[in-house]
Amino acid sequence: MTTATTTAAPSYRGVLPPSQHEFAEVIHRLEAGGAMLPDSPENLMQIIGIYKAYAVPMDFYWRDLLYMAEQVFLEPLPFFKYFPTQEYLDRHNHYAGDTADLRIWRGPATAHPELLAFMAKGETGKMPKLLHHLWHDRINMEFAEECMRAMLWHQGMGGRFNDYLDSDEYRENANRAIRAYFKGNPAMLALHKLFPEMFLEQCRQASYLANLGLFWEVMAPVFFEMSDLFDEGNLRTVPEAMNFLVNGIFAIAGRPIYHHVYIRGECYEVIPKSKGFTWLYEAALPYVEAVFYRTSPFRGTKSYNAQARQVPEDQKDFHYGILYADVFPVGTAGIPPTLLMQDMYHFLPPYLVEYYSRHCKGKDDMLIQLGITFQRSMYCVTSAVIQALRTALLYPLDDPNPRHLQANRAFFEMQLDRFKRPEARLRNIQNQDYR
Amino acid sequence: MPDIVDIAVGAGAFKTLVTAVQVAGLVDTLKSPGPFTVFAPNDDAFAKLPPGTIPTLVQNPPQLARILCFHVVPGRYTQADLAKVGSLDSVEGAPIPFYCEDGVFEVKNATVLAADIEADNGIIHVLDRVILMG
Amino acid sequence: MLSVLIWLPVVGALLVGLWPGACAARLRSIALAFATAGVLWSAWLLRQFDPTQPGMQFVEFIPWIAPVGLHYSLGADGLSLPLMALNSLLIWIAIYSNAYSGERPGLYYGLLLLAGGGMAGAFAAQNLLLFFLFYELELLPFYLLIFLWGCSDKRGYAAMKFLIYTAVSGFLILGAFLGLVLLDGSSSFAYGEQSTAALPLITQLILLTMLLIGFGIKIPLVPLHTWLPDAYCEASPPVAILLGGVLAKLGAYGLLRFGLGLFPETWALVAPGLATIGAVTAVYGALSAIAQRDIKRMVAYSSIGHMGYILLAAAAATPLSLLGAMLQMVSHGLILAILFHLVGVVEAKVGTRDLDVLNGLMNPIRGLPMVSALLVLGGMASAGIPGLVGFVAEFLVLQGSFAAFPVQTILCVVCSGLTAVYFVILLNRTCFGRLDNATAYYPPVRWIERTPALILAGIILVLGIQPDWLSRWSEATAQAMVTPIQSAASQLKKPLPSLRAAATSFSPN
Repeated sequence: MTTATTTAAPSYRGVLPPSQHEFAEVIHRLEAGGAMLPDSPENLMQIIGIYKAYAVPMDFYWRDLLYMAEQVFLEPLPFFKYFPTQEYLDRHNHYAGDTADLRIWRGPATAHPELLAFMAKGETGKMPKLLHHLWHDRINMEFAEECMRAMLWHQGMGGRFNDYLDSDEYRENANRAIRAYFKGNPAMLALHKLFPEMFLEQCRQASYLANLGLFWEVMAPVFFEMSDLFDEGNLRTVPEAMNFLVNGIFAIAGRPIYHHVYIRGECYEVIPKSKGFTWLYEAALPYVEAVFYRTSPFRGTKSYNAQARQVPEDQKDFHYGILYADVFPVGTAGIPPTLLMQDMYHFLPPYLVEYYSRHCKGKDDMLIQLGITFQRSMYCVTSAVIQALRTALLYPLDDPNPRHLQANRAFFEMQLDRFKRPEARLRNIQNQDYR
Repeated sequence: MPDIVDIAVGAGAFKTLVTAVQVAGLVDTLKSPGPFTVFAPNDDAFAKLPPGTIPTLVQNPPQLARILCFHVVPGRYTQADLAKVGSLDSVEGAPIPFYCEDGVFEVKNATVLAADIEADNGIIHVLDRVILMG
Repeated sequence: MLSVLIWLPVVGALLVGLWPGACAARLRSIALAFATAGVLWSAWLLRQFDPTQPGMQFVEFIPWIAPVGLHYSLGADGLSLPLMALNSLLIWIAIYSNAYSGERPGLYYGLLLLAGGGMAGAFAAQNLLLFFLFYELELLPFYLLIFLWGCSDKRGYAAMKFLIYTAVSGFLILGAFLGLVLLDGSSSFAYGEQSTAALPLITQLILLTMLLIGFGIKIPLVPLHTWLPDAYCEASPPVAILLGGVLAKLGAYGLLRFGLGLFPETWALVAPGLATIGAVTAVYGALSAIAQRDIKRMVAYSSIGHMGYILLAAAAATPLSLLGAMLQMVSHGLILAILFHLVGVVEAKVGTRDLDVLNGLMNPIRGLPMVSALLVLGGMASAGIPGLVGFVAEFLVLQGSFAAFPVQTILCVVCSGLTAVYFVILLNRTCFGRLDNATAYYPPVRWIERTPALILAGIILVLGIQPDWLSRWSEATAQAMVTPIQSAASQLKKPLPSLRAAATSFSPN
C-alpha cells in the first residue's frame, strides 16, 4: 500500500485508481467521508447559520401544513389557511421537548419563541394578524405549498406514497372523508357526485401537505440542534455537520407518514399509519428529488419556452431546484423561493448578518447572499442524503473489498453526473467567492 | 424440525431480530407453513445501524414490519437457487439482488455469514448487515 | 446680466484652479457652488425673459476694440436663452456627477467651468468676432479635458482629432465672417447689421458654404463627423455630456443664427441639399448605432443621427420646424446627457461597455436597477416615445418639415423607428436577460451618481407632458426668424405649417 499523503486518507488510495470523473475532487472528498461542500470554517459558519434561519420558519411551515391537511382540508374558500390555530402552534413536536419520541433538539416542543415574536410584531409592528397577512409581513407559506406541489406533480420518485394515492383503498378512504366533510352541504355533495375526481385530487394534495408537514416536523429540530451544537463549539467541521444529518436521517427513517383528517372532532384516516409509510422512503427521498433537484421552471428567473425545448421533455430531467437555481434573480423574482429567502432573512443569527454586511452590497443584497448560503447548505444536506443512501444501500467507506469500493465509487459518480449540466452550482460552491 | 422463529430464538445471535419480529407482529406469519426464505441480520448487523434507528422503528410497528418484510422472500431458496435467479421480489415488494461468485455470497450490500439453514417452513441465510429498500 | 452667466464660471474656474493645496472634495464643493449659482441665475433670467418679444433681450454693450469692430456685446432671444439654461444645467450635472478621484482636481473642475463660461459666451455674443472668440475659447478646455482625463490610451489621438477638426471649423467660420463684413461693406461685426442681399449669389453661396462646413463639423454632419465617436468615447462621461449636450448645439445654433439669419435668400437655394444631408446624417447615425457593440459609441452615433433632424428642420425653415429645431436642441441635450451619464455609471460599475458582456442589469438587487430603469427612460425619450420631451421636439420637426421636404422627412421618420431598434438592442442586452453569476458583484450605485440622472429624467418627463414650458421661450423667435425666408421662399406658394395650425389639426374636430 502506498503511503497516504493526507491525514484523512481517501479510501481509494492504494485500492482504486483516482477517479476520472469531471468532479473527481468532489468524489474523492465524498469517498473520504466529506461533503460536496468543501470543509472550511467559513462554509460551516454559513450553513449552520442558515439552518437556524431556515428552521424557524420551518417550524411554522410544518405546523401550518398539518393544520391545512388535517383541519382546512377541502375548504372551498380557504382564506384563513395560513392562520393555524393555537392548538397547532402549541402542538408538541415529536422530536423536541420532554415529550419527544426521540429527542433531537433539547429545546421546547412548542412553536419556537423567535417565531412567535415575529408573528406578533413582524417587520411593521404590532397589529392584527390579518393586517400582517395582507401586508405580507408574515411567514410565507407559499414556498411550502410550492414544495408540496412539486412533490405532487413530479410523482414517480420512489417510495410507495404516490402509488397509494391511486389505489382503490385510498379512493375509498378519501371519499369517506370527503362525504363527511361536506355533510349537510348538498351542493358540494352533488358536485362530488358529478365530478368524483375533483375533490379526490384536492384530497391527494392535502395528503401531500401532510406528508411534507411530517417531513419538516423532523427537520426543524434537527437544524435547531445543529445550531445549538455549533454555538456550543461541538460542531467543528462541515463533515461533522453532514454526519449529524446522516445520523438524523437514520434515526428517524422509520417515522410513519400518514394523513389524518379531523372533521367535527372525528378522525378520518385517509392514509393510516398502518400502511407502513416511512419518513425516509415516502417523504425525505421524494422531497429531495422534487425540491432540491427538479421543481419547475419559475417565471421571473428566466424565460422558458417549452416549444423551443428549453424545458426538458421528461419530468425526471427537470433541473430547477435549489441545487441548480440561479440565485441572483431568484432572490428578487417574487416567486416562492424568494419568499423563503424573505422568511429566512428575519431569523438570521447575528454572526451571519455581520458576515453579509462585510460582503458585496452589504445589507442591500442580503437576500441574495443568504440565498447562496442556502444553496451551499442544501449541497451539504444533499451530501448527507447521498452518504446516507450509500450507508444504507452500499458499503462502508473503509470497506477492504475493492469491488465494494468500486460500487461506492460508481454510486458517487452516478450522483454527481446530475451536476454535470451547466446550470448546476456544484462548481460555484467549491469557491468561496461565489456569494 | 423447528420453524424459522424457533431457530432464530434458539441460535441466540438474533435477539434484536426476534424482538423486532415480535413487536412488528410477524411471529405468527413466520410460524405459518410458508415456505419462506428469510435473510436474517444478526445482532451485530443491527448494531451497525446508526443510533436511534431501531428505537424509532420499534415505536412504529407497521414501519418496522415493512423493513422486516424486505428480508423475506416467499418460497424456499437455497444459495444455489439464488445464484441462479440473481434477484427476487421481497414480501415488502422491492427486489433483492444477489451476488454469488468465487465463493462469495452477498445479498444486496450484506454478506451472508451462514447460508442454507433449513427450517420446517423455510430456509434462513444469516446476514452481517440490515438490508434496506432502494 | 448675461455677463454673469459667462464670468461667474470663469471666476469659479480661476478660483478652483488656483486654490492652493485643497482636497478634491472641497474643490468640488466650490465648483459646484459656482455651477449652482449659474443654474439659479439662468432660472432667474428665464423668469425675466419676455417670450412674446422676438428680439434680443438683456442686451449689454461695452465698446472694446472699435477699429476692428470688436465690441463686448451680449443679448439673448428665444433661440439662445434655452441653450444657455441648458448649458448651465449640464455644467452643474457634469461637476456634480463626478466625485473626482484622479489627479489635479483643481485643473479638472476649473476647465469644466471655463468650458461652461466659454459656451455661455458664444450663445450670448452679439458680435461676430466676439462669438468667434468664445467659440475658440472653449476649444482648449475641451481638448485638455479629453486629453488629460480621457478613458483609454486612444485619448491623445481622439483629442488631437477633435482639436484639428474644430480648429478648421473655427477658421472657416472666421473666414466667412470676415468675408461677409468686408464684402458687404458694413464694417460692423454686430449681429443683424450685415446685409447679404446686395452680394452676388455666387459670393453668398461660397460664404454660406464655408459657414455650413464650419458648423457642420461641429454639429457634426455626415461626412464631417469622424472626429465625434472617438472624442465622445474617449471623453469621461461628464465631458461627453458637455460635448454632446452643449458643444454640438453650438454648431446647430451657429447654423440657425448665421446660416439662416445672414443668408435668408440663399438659404432657400441650398435648403433641399441641406435637408438631404440632414436625412442622410439621420440615417447614417441610426444605422451606425445599430452596428455598434459599445454602448457609449452607440449613444455617440445616436447623437449624430438626432442632429440630422435639426438640419432638416433648419432647411425647411417654417415657423413650426424652426421651433422644432430649437426644442430638439434642448431635448437632445437633456437626453444625451442622461444617456452618457448612465452609460458612464454602467461602465464605472460593471467595468465594460461591451454589449456582448453586459447583461441583466435590471436585477433588482445584484444589478443596477435604478440605473437600468432610467436608461430605459432615456432610450424611450431618445426614440421619441410620446409623453417624453424627445417626442415633442421630433414631432414638431417632422410636422414642420413635411410640407417642404416630404421625402427627407419620411426618411427621418424611418430613423425615429431605427432609434427604437438600437435602443431596444441596447436595453435588451444591457438591462434584461440573465445576470452573470461569475462577474456580477458590482459596487453599489451611490446617490451622487443617481441624482443627476433623476434630475434629468424629471425634466425630460415634465417637459414631455407640458411641452409648452419649453416651447414658449422660442415661439416668437422662430416666427421672427422665418419672416425673411418666407419672402424669399414665397414661390413655394404653400401655406406653411405653424404651431397653431398643427394644434388645430390635432383638435378632436
